[in-house]
Amino acid sequence: MTNALKVSELSKTFAVGKRLFGPPQAHVRAVQPVTLTVRKGETLGIVGESGCGKSTLARMLVGLLEPSGGQIEIEGEPLDTANPATFGRKIQYVFQDPISSLNPRKTIRQIMEAPLRHLHGMSKERRARRISEIFSAVNLREDFLDRYPHEFSGGQAQRIGIGRALAADARILILDEPVSALDVSVQAQVLNLLSDLKAKFDLTYLFISHDLAVVEAVSDRVAVLYFGSVVEIGPAEQVFSKPRHPYTKLLADSAPVVGRPLTAPEGRETELPDPLNPPGGCAFCARCPRALNECATERPALARDGSNRMIACLNPY
Amino acid sequence: MAGYIIKRLVSAIPVLLGISIIVFLIMAMIPGDPATAILGSYATPENVEKLNRDLGLDKPLVHRYFIWLGNMLQGDFGRSFSLNRAVIHEVMERFNATLILAGTSFVICSVLGVAAGTVSAARQYGLADKAITFSVLLGISIPSFFLGMMMILVFAVNLRWLPVSGMWPIYGARDLSSLISHLTLPALVLSVVATGVIARLSRSAMLEVLRQDFIRTARAKGVHERSVIWRHALRAAMVSIIPVLGIQAGFVLSGAVYIEIVFQWPGVGRMLVDAILKRDILLVQGGVVFVAACYVMFNIAVDVAQSLLDPRIKT
Amino acid sequence: MNFLHLLARNRLALAGLIVMLLIVLLALITPLLPLADPDVTNTAERFKRPFEDNAMLGTDHLGRDLLSRLLWGGRLSLAVGFASALIAAVIGATIGIVAGFYGGRTDNVIMRGVDMLMAFPYILLALAIVAALGPGLINALIAVAAVNIPFFARNIRGVTVSIAHREFVDAARLSGMSDARIILTEVLPNVIPVIVIAMSTTVGWMILETAGLSFLGLGSQPPQADLGSMLGEARSALITNPHTSIVPGAMILVIVMAINLLGDGVRDALDPRLRSGALSRPMPNTLVRRKDPVPETKTDALLELNGLKTQFHSNGRIHKAVGGVGLCVEAGECVGIIGESGSGKSVTALSVMGLVASPPGVITAGAVHFAGQELLGAPYETLRRLRGDRVAYIFQDPQATLHPLYTVGRQLVEAIRAHHPTSRANAHERAVELLRSVRIPNAEMRIDSYPHEMSGGMRQRVGIAMALANDPDLIIADEPTTALDVTVQAQILSLLSDLQRERGLAIIFITHDFGVVAQLCNRVAVMYAGRIVEEGPTDAILNSPAHPYTARLMACVPELGRGRRELAAIPGLPPVLDMLPQGCAFADRCHRVQDACRTGNISLSAIDDERAVRCIFPETPAMDKAQ
Repeated sequence: MTNALKVSELSKTFAVGKRLFGPPQAHVRAVQPVTLTVRKGETLGIVGESGCGKSTLARMLVGLLEPSGGQIEIEGEPLDTANPATFGRKIQYVFQDPISSLNPRKTIRQIMEAPLRHLHGMSKERRARRISEIFSAVNLREDFLDRYPHEFSGGQAQRIGIGRALAADARILILDEPVSALDVSVQAQVLNLLSDLKAKFDLTYLFISHDLAVVEAVSDRVAVLYFGSVVEIGPAEQVFSKPRHPYTKLLADSAPVVGRPLTAPEGRETELPDPLNPPGGCAFCARCPRALNECATERPALARDGSNRMIACLNPY
Repeated sequence: MAGYIIKRLVSAIPVLLGISIIVFLIMAMIPGDPATAILGSYATPENVEKLNRDLGLDKPLVHRYFIWLGNMLQGDFGRSFSLNRAVIHEVMERFNATLILAGTSFVICSVLGVAAGTVSAARQYGLADKAITFSVLLGISIPSFFLGMMMILVFAVNLRWLPVSGMWPIYGARDLSSLISHLTLPALVLSVVATGVIARLSRSAMLEVLRQDFIRTARAKGVHERSVIWRHALRAAMVSIIPVLGIQAGFVLSGAVYIEIVFQWPGVGRMLVDAILKRDILLVQGGVVFVAACYVMFNIAVDVAQSLLDPRIKT
Repeated sequence: MNFLHLLARNRLALAGLIVMLLIVLLALITPLLPLADPDVTNTAERFKRPFEDNAMLGTDHLGRDLLSRLLWGGRLSLAVGFASALIAAVIGATIGIVAGFYGGRTDNVIMRGVDMLMAFPYILLALAIVAALGPGLINALIAVAAVNIPFFARNIRGVTVSIAHREFVDAARLSGMSDARIILTEVLPNVIPVIVIAMSTTVGWMILETAGLSFLGLGSQPPQADLGSMLGEARSALITNPHTSIVPGAMILVIVMAINLLGDGVRDALDPRLRSGALSRPMPNTLVRRKDPVPETKTDALLELNGLKTQFHSNGRIHKAVGGVGLCVEAGECVGIIGESGSGKSVTALSVMGLVASPPGVITAGAVHFAGQELLGAPYETLRRLRGDRVAYIFQDPQATLHPLYTVGRQLVEAIRAHHPTSRANAHERAVELLRSVRIPNAEMRIDSYPHEMSGGMRQRVGIAMALANDPDLIIADEPTTALDVTVQAQILSLLSDLQRERGLAIIFITHDFGVVAQLCNRVAVMYAGRIVEEGPTDAILNSPAHPYTARLMACVPELGRGRRELAAIPGLPPVLDMLPQGCAFADRCHRVQDACRTGNISLSAIDDERAVRCIFPETPAMDKAQ
């Protein structure tokens, strides 16, 4: 299988306390250098809690945010990171909040036409044909086209958002929490639609979510993010059922599951590390029940464990 | 806290420099020759040239700016030709009078405006709210100079309750009671517009805050409604009201110009208008820079007050 | 169309509009009217009173016809005011949009300049400009426009920043649009209403300012007169001939008042928040307007809801959020209410203590009995005494539910002292104890923290401590862990569970998560479209759901540890609450629907001594197993 997307040493640093002249007061590393590959036709799930850098990573992958370092390759070719339009034809993005990702003052048709016009320069007739193809693919009626976004429910608006991403004819979709703003009953509809579309159009997905169960249900492989770095990657059916990194285990144990008694999985004071003063060693060290002495000073690298898992831990399960 | 005040004072330096540059540039745009304006059109060319040299007007613009700035920093704002007096003395004296007038008005409009806005929000759509909303609308629609004239007509001329104009009686003691009687009308009239603006803003700030979740929390705790409004809501609303008080202080200072004219108040505003009409540029320049600098300092005080109120501001 | 309709509904704005139209019309036809020349002096005819001879409004100190001068002057004042507003708006908005859209250094430099201009009391700048350019109407116009540019720039920049960060702008970028096109087609259409609002609320002010400069003798120069200079010239004769002052003064007042009324109307019609009536203040209690007789209490439960109906009335629409809910909570019991958004679960919870925001909320039927006492009809003081003392709440978002400007200690002390008058020192000690009981480390130190200095999980612990402050009998927890990360959620849930057992608390736990309900609650009620559709012991319902909605909703939820799979979805959307269908609200989405489901009122009926279901063709355990 070929790689659809390859990310090498991609990182992002934000300046804090910018001044009019001179250097900023401090830097915050939102994403540590991350290396990932997504195979063609695969769904790679990315999970992590708030502040772990998953949205920053996603926004870099579609060119909305300029990386501080590293590079992005699509189908073997490095991407010019300067221009969002070149990204647009190869990799597209589905937003978390379906309503706010649609301009309230444009009709759905105008919104759908934008990528066709500006990325592909299609004529009016071809645009109309393409839009009706896409609309039937995402199960929307064509009479919605002349309405405005506020007339739609969250689930419908998210279908429109997915439709817009498809219109760009990109092969890779970054799905950033695509169902977390939706109700459970509608969430399943959208997830199933995404899975149908993937088969139909031969797409590759990067599925970002904080919901472990959802990620597990839709992904082939799952990467767990903590404090800006990948701490574990592995096949979806194994990562949460047999976690190896202590943080993955903590996540898996914390998820409320019907039929499992309630226990506090952690006794210790649990705060994320201060981004302005990142710890020298493993970022999870202070919360880790299996921490060794060297964990406080040595930062573990992501390494293959012999099977198909990769873990960044000195003392894994 | 002291550190924060120092930080704010330091950050005021570029603003003050900017103000001086803006004023200097505007004044440098004036067509014609100030020396001719000062000496009159019968001046000999030699005299004009001499005066130009004395004023430093033969030098390049940047050079002139630094001379002017340097003199100002030493307290020398130049001499007013129309009054034949040092600008700084005239401005300080006049600014005192303005400060009494505008300061009183500012206190009135802050207290009245915030109180009216809060009551209005707490009784939304009630009689008090409607009455306040209408008065506010009237207050911000009436030109203060017109209102001042009408007040003179009613309270000074017809009812004879208060003096017509001036700051002190022409004859008689210059004591506090005579000051108050002279101050009452102009201070009230001057505060009308600002009271209206502050009341409006306080009302909408309060309405915004009253919808917040923490107000529901306070009610769910069983806190008394009086304390929900005047303690929880007003405190939070003050965060958006205080900056407006700062801006309104500028509007009160501005409105003072009209009121000083209408009530013959010997303030800096009246001085400026007279100076403009007489083309006494140094007096205008000095007056504007001085008052603007004072206003910048006042706004630092507002920022400090804000930081005391809101712990989320990093001090 | 919609905008004009909204404007016309506002009677004051309509009055303003009519007056304004009249004035503008007068200004337009002034040159055609048979008026005396406004500038011809005739000192013999000076200071005529209104209606004396043929001068309708009298004459001024030079014998000029006041009516004629008023109309010509008004025309001039209007033109100058509008022109300066337009200039200030266009230049200010352009600066604001550029600064707000590009951000970074561009923004920084522009806004420093704007701040510099705003550091002047505005009239000083205007006076300086007039001093430099010389007195004159056009110069006054320039001065007033220039002084107002910073206000527009700052205002529009703020709005632009918030729009430029909205996701649809990112989406437009990904669609390959250039910056210029994004500004024109994405940002500008969303900023224009704000520009219009800013303009309509400042035109009046601009007219006052230009009139003011003319009044000072710095604007229009004789013989030409606008309203301000008319007033300025009349001032010397104020005492002897007040009508020469009153005529122009009153005209300014009328114009500015009409513009302000209209401007407020425009603002209200354009501002979406005001349009939806969102800016009304919630009253201390939810409005109760019950027509039907109040149901009696039937049990001796700690809390009993009976036929509770809560609606939202806005813009002539009735949104039936809660359509008849009955529920009992025994002392020491944990009852879960589960449902999707819009199912009415939170509104039910808030109705108990009258905390539904009102307006627009109205409780229209039913009863709430707490320890035998009916609460809905109770006076405010009775409710206030119970709130936080016997019945306490924990809310969803701990960031928004704590007062941002008070330390957590102060908020805890307040909660205690609202019900138990005790010294501050005692209350403080008790507050520290409470923080310890919710396992906040370093309670003595943390008590002086402000909410923003704490993490989300810590804040929610404070929220729980506050609920425990007076040892209540019942805690109503409205999605207390939804805003938290999953690892923090697990801690909060186990804390709540321990506290419930230790203190014998009754808890109503509102959530959308079956996993949470399963771990915490003894009994559960499932809500759909404002009503309870199924109720019973948690285990029984989770093992064999009787209502098709419950069954299908559970099937939608992926469960951790089962790997990749196809999910079961429920087709269709929940019904709109202002147009609920006859019969079962779930009928349109149900796989077991029959004709009988679409008629009449389907009641919640018992299927055994512990369970009840609102369905005429419920799932049977046998069928469930077959599936």
